Order: sequence, then C-alpha cells, then structure tokens
Amino acid sequence: MKKLFRLAPLAAAIAVAPVMAQTNDETVSRMQQQLDSMQQQLNSVKDERVRFNGFFSTGFARASNDAGFDGVTDESSVADQSLLALQGTFDVTDKSQAVLQLVGRGAEDWDPVVEWAYLSHRPTNDLQLRAGKMRLPFFMYSDSLEVGYAQTWARPPAAVYDPVAIQSYVGADATHTFNFNGSSLTTQVFTGFTEEEGNISEVKLRNTAGLTLSWTDYVWTVRGIAATAEISINATRLAAIAEANDLQLVDGQAILADEERGNFFGLGLGYDNGTWQVISEVTRAEVDGKFADTDSAYVSVARRFGTLTPYAVVGWIESQDNEERAGAFLAQGPTGIMPAVPESVLNTRRDEYSVGVRWDITPGVAIKADVTHVRGFEGSAGGLNPAFILANDDDTTNVYTLKLDSAF
Amino acid sequence: MKKYSLILLASMLVSPLALAEVVVIGHPGGPDSITSNQVRDIYLNRSQQLPDGQKVRPFELPEGAPARSEFHEKVTGRNDAQLKSFWSQQVFTGRGQPPQEQGNTGAMKASVASTPGSIGYLDASEVDDSVKVILTP
Repeated sequence: MKKLFRLAPLAAAIAVAPVMAQTNDETVSRMQQQLDSMQQQLNSVKDERVRFNGFFSTGFARASNDAGFDGVTDESSVADQSLLALQGTFDVTDKSQAVLQLVGRGAEDWDPVVEWAYLSHRPTNDLQLRAGKMRLPFFMYSDSLEVGYAQTWARPPAAVYDPVAIQSYVGADATHTFNFNGSSLTTQVFTGFTEEEGNISEVKLRNTAGLTLSWTDYVWTVRGIAATAEISINATRLAAIAEANDLQLVDGQAILADEERGNFFGLGLGYDNGTWQVISEVTRAEVDGKFADTDSAYVSVARRFGTLTPYAVVGWIESQDNEERAGAFLAQGPTGIMPAVPESVLNTRRDEYSVGVRWDITPGVAIKADVTHVRGFEGSAGGLNPAFILANDDDTTNVYTLKLDSAF
Repeated sequence: MKKYSLILLASMLVSPLALAEVVVIGHPGGPDSITSNQVRDIYLNRSQQLPDGQKVRPFELPEGAPARSEFHEKVTGRNDAQLKSFWSQQVFTGRGQPPQEQGNTGAMKASVASTPGSIGYLDASEVDDSVKVILTP
C-alpha cells in the first residue's frame, strides 16, 4: 500500500510528462515573445526622442574701403563674422516632431534669436506638413543660409542673396516628394506673414503665398520658385542718412511701399558629381512703387581635390525700374520743403567676382579663405552703403575673408 | 594549363581574405533583398521606407571603420567630410537626422538583429544568422 502510494506520484508524473513538455514549449515561446517585446521597448527607449545639434562660425573679414559689401568695412571685427546656433529636435510621435533653433550672432551681442520654431507632421512617407516660424524658401540655400559648414563658399553670393532683406516667416507649408526611379520631384506650397527690422529697412509681408518645384536626379538639380505678397517697406537707413546730414525727411517719404504687390521669381540649376560642383541662380524681385525692382544672377564653379575645394563665383545685380525714380525724397529745410536726396539713390548695379578655397580639416570643421572684388556701380549706389559710394570716388571694393565653420 | 588552374585555385583561396567584402544586412523579419539605389536613398535621407513598405531604421558604423568607408564608396559615393556636410544641411533645415551610429561591428549586428525594419552593413566575414544579407553591393 505504502509502495503504491509511492508509485502513484511517479506514475502520475510519467503520465503528465508529455503535457508538461508541451507547457514548457509554450512557456519558452511565450518567454521568447516577452523577451522580444522587452528588447523592442529597450530599443525604442534608445531611440533618442530628443536630439541636439549645433553649428558655429567665426572668422575675420576686412574690406579695402567702407562701401559695406555684406556689411564688411575696413574696420570689421571678428564678432561680425561669428555665430553660434543650437537646435533641438523633439520627436512628438513617430510621425511628428517639434524643431527649435536658436541663433546667437556676434554682431548682435550674441542675443539668442529664434530662427526656426515649428511643428512638422508626416501623414505619409511622401508628404510633410509644417507650421510655425520657418525660412522663406526664396533660394536654393535659403534653408541653410547661416550653416556655413553646409556650403562651399565663405558666404552665399551676395548679388542674389542680399537684396531680399527678410529671411523668415510665420506660417505653414506642405512639401510633397514624388520619387521616380533614380530621381525625385519635390513640390512645396507655403503661406504666411513676416515683419522684420533690418539695418536698412523695416519690411512687412502680408498674405505671402508661394510655390517651389525642385527636381533632382542627385547629380543635377533644377529648382523654380514663384511667390507673391503685400509688401510694406520703411527705409530707415535712408531716413538716418538724411538726418545725419541735418535733413528731416517729410513724413512718409521713407515709406517705399505701403501694402504694395510684390513678386519674387527664381530659377536655380545645380550640378554635383562629387568632384565638380556647379551652381547658378537667377532671381527677380519686383515691388510696386519706388522700391527698386532687381534682377540678379550668379554662377559658381567648385572642384574638390580631397580636402581642398577651390571655387570661383561671378555675380551680378541690376535694378530694372530706374526710370521710376526720377524725383527726389523731400525734406523739411530752413525755407520750407525741399528736395533732399534723389530717388536714384535706390538704383542698384554691381558685379562681384569671388575666388576662394574651402579646406575640410576634419569632418565637422572647415576653414575658408575668400577674396571678393566688387565693381560696376555705373553711378548707382550698387546696393551698398550709398553714403560712402556716392560721396567717394572709389568705384570698387575688395573684401578679404577668413572663416571657420563647424557643425556638431 | 595546369599552371592556370593552379593560379585559379590560389586566387580562390586568397580572395576571401583579400577581398573582404561589405554586405548590407537587414532584420530577419524584413525584406529578402534590396537594390543598391534603394539603400543609397535610405542612407541619403531620400527614402524612409523599406521595399516592403516598413519604416526603415538605418544604422551606421563610426567614422574610420573600414566597412563604413567601403560601404559609402560603393553605395552613396560620398566620403566622411561630404557626408558630414550633407547631414548638417539636412539636420539644420529640419529634414532629418543621420542614421544612428553603432559603436562597433558587434553593436551593429546586435542592433540590426533586434530592431524590426532596420538595415546596416558589415564585413561579410562578420555576418551570422542573427541577421540576413539583403545586398552585396
């Protein structure tokens, strides 16, 4: 009896064994699944929901005189060429993120300014929607205008990049990318408004709307843009120059545009096969009223020799509506209202020639040296400092730049 | 004739060593093959998905890793400085982030093996069956 009792559990154990084995299999596979899912959770924690990047530039630029090409004079300082930017990218969900970029510029006492602040959402693989503060996509390099490290040049060609004083807007855009076999077509529509105070003027854009189309096969790039806005421009520098000469402009004289229609058109072409880089952009900016309508263009050729990339750029800008500025800005004189500054001070014409070299010291750091020669004002202020150009005989200016750009 | 076959034999023996070859690997649950252009598009931020429609998670080896230089030479045609410049443009225009870097080839293999939708690259000699080879560029 005793023996039977002792045997019974054994028998039961033997009988149960196959069932146990099955349960063990199930347990193992269940544990395997749990392990897999834990590993996935671990991986998604590793996914870095927040990322920080930054870029930094510093350098020195000096001009042969005070013509003020790109703000450079014959006593420019290191601070003017320096900036530091920090960017945070926060993944809100798998398809949405928030981007914030702060830029501190040496020329502005390093006060941090929000350059980008937007939410983006990708409902599908091909479509991106953004809303917030972003760059106006006027040019091929608008988006990375200040990221010197991402450019070959010491500075973007000023003939094309400088006449448009405003860089950012608050609004929304939608970008759709259509991938062909080996090439892609990107369509972007944007709308919004902006209000910026620069050294030269205060500019307001209302009801901005634009379209960009960009096709690339990753060697060739063709890009087109058309945009329109209601523009208000207050020429604060013009008023300041008049004031410096003891002339008080009559109220409203410095308002070059008051909600006038403004249009912008641009065509860009790029070629980059890894060794040769050729870029060209042609742009037209037109605003009803006294403000100068300008056509601009540049061609840039660069060739990579390992870590060294020499480049040459030719640029041109010319105002197209000089006949509309035959009059003068009126000022309050001692004997009453008198013509003070000819409107032709806004006429613009100049040619730019740059040669330079980019040296990639190490991935993440590049040094650039650049010499730019500017001439061909033909009696205009050349889009530079009119107080200097029109008062001096100098009809050229040379700008020497040494710059360090880094991204991290 | 005999001499030629000996050379052939010798070259067959030597080739696995001399031509250490980089291969593109994927998570076992991903597609079985991918084209070189698709891999290039993923590593240059032009595409966010695998051929089967899954969201892709590309991994990269650190600068200086031999397999990294070979991979980029064959697939994207860009060197480290060009990649850095390219990604700085993408990052600071909000278009994307570079592939996550894995510290070494072991971490690369482990991450691809455990991350659904992932792809990476390794020297062929370091591949085992925890991942699958989806392209030999």
